[in-house]
Amino acid sequence: MNFLVTSIESLGAKVVGWFTVGYGMFAFLTKASLLLLDRTTWNRATFDVVVKQVYFTAVQILHVFLGYALVISWLIITIILSTARDFGLTAFASEMTIRVLVLELLPFLTALFIALRSGSAINTEVALMQVNNELDALEHCKVPPMQFEFLPRLIGGVVSVITLAGLAGLLALLMAYLTIYGINMAGLEPFTRTIAKVFDFPIVAGLIVKCALFGLAVTLIPVTAGLETPKKLFMVPVSVLRGMMRVFFAIVTIEVVSLALKYI
Amino acid sequence: MAAVATLPDDVARVALDLPLRANLSALENIALIPLYQRHYKAAESSRQAQVMLDQLGYADIALLRDPDMTPAQRFVAKLARALILKRPRLVIDRPGAMLYDVPYPAFIGQLAALAEMTGTWEIYDFSWNQALYQE
Repeated sequence: MNFLVTSIESLGAKVVGWFTVGYGMFAFLTKASLLLLDRTTWNRATFDVVVKQVYFTAVQILHVFLGYALVISWLIITIILSTARDFGLTAFASEMTIRVLVLELLPFLTALFIALRSGSAINTEVALMQVNNELDALEHCKVPPMQFEFLPRLIGGVVSVITLAGLAGLLALLMAYLTIYGINMAGLEPFTRTIAKVFDFPIVAGLIVKCALFGLAVTLIPVTAGLETPKKLFMVPVSVLRGMMRVFFAIVTIEVVSLALKYI
Repeated sequence: MAAVATLPDDVARVALDLPLRANLSALENIALIPLYQRHYKAAESSRQAQVMLDQLGYADIALLRDPDMTPAQRFVAKLARALILKRPRLVIDRPGAMLYDVPYPAFIGQLAALAEMTGTWEIYDFSWNQALYQE
């Protein structure tokens, strides 16, 4: 009986914990969105920090990221093409490549890449700021932490994921054309027709929304996880661990929901 | 000492529990105030911050980040940040906790003479350190 009570209590505590975390994230996002609509937020100082964030999140890693996207794309395209040839489905190879790589795999890998590189750094930095009282010091100086520290990171994350996923997609399309048709213009017409067929308005809008949600997940979750950190230095690794697990689940959930909406 | 933390908004505090932003240089920490509060451009904010450090005789710490500073340099950066707030009262909270490498009453006295700021400087310290201020 005692075991049952303890189990129910523990489950209840977990559910309450999830709701608290969810509410905290939602409240933070609402506050950030309202601030985003406020004209006074958009001063030179905030704009400069946003530019700096986009530089650190997207531009600084561009060559590594594009190299990685190139290798992954080439591998997947080669696999799709050889499988399509084996089954006599070569005509569908370009559409398959676009659907698998550009719409699904590359945005997902981009989000994972940004989460591992920037999300973990954001989580650690915010947790350390929280533990070291740096946020209190900013508030004492009337420098709004939301405007100076958090909002630029959210915007930077969203802009970076959309841009990097877009660039990786373009690179994959180029790779697909070269692998399927070789270096000549003969396949341009059927290839562009396939692109136009796949990229109708709902698909493009859905892709942008998905990338924006990925961008939010890899920045909003680490920021809120960092802010939840108790003021004890040894809790920083725990905060990063929790934050990164939540980011992983959020990315997978967004991908699964997007697939379900598209294909079920 | 708990009363120090609840001082009104018109007080600028220099305290151990109000650290500098660790990933910004001393100059950037100070320049944040004119940048965000008075909406100056980045270049003008940095110039004002540099003037403040020059005034305190610590121009050379401008590019140092918190972990690279000595306790005295860190104190000066925090003091410059508090002074640029231009609040009528300046409270230095338990200076011994921040300035453990210098005879701090004399050190703060020298800085106060250099800064030539209007407004009141107040030092909150433990009663058993009173003798240090009478030397």
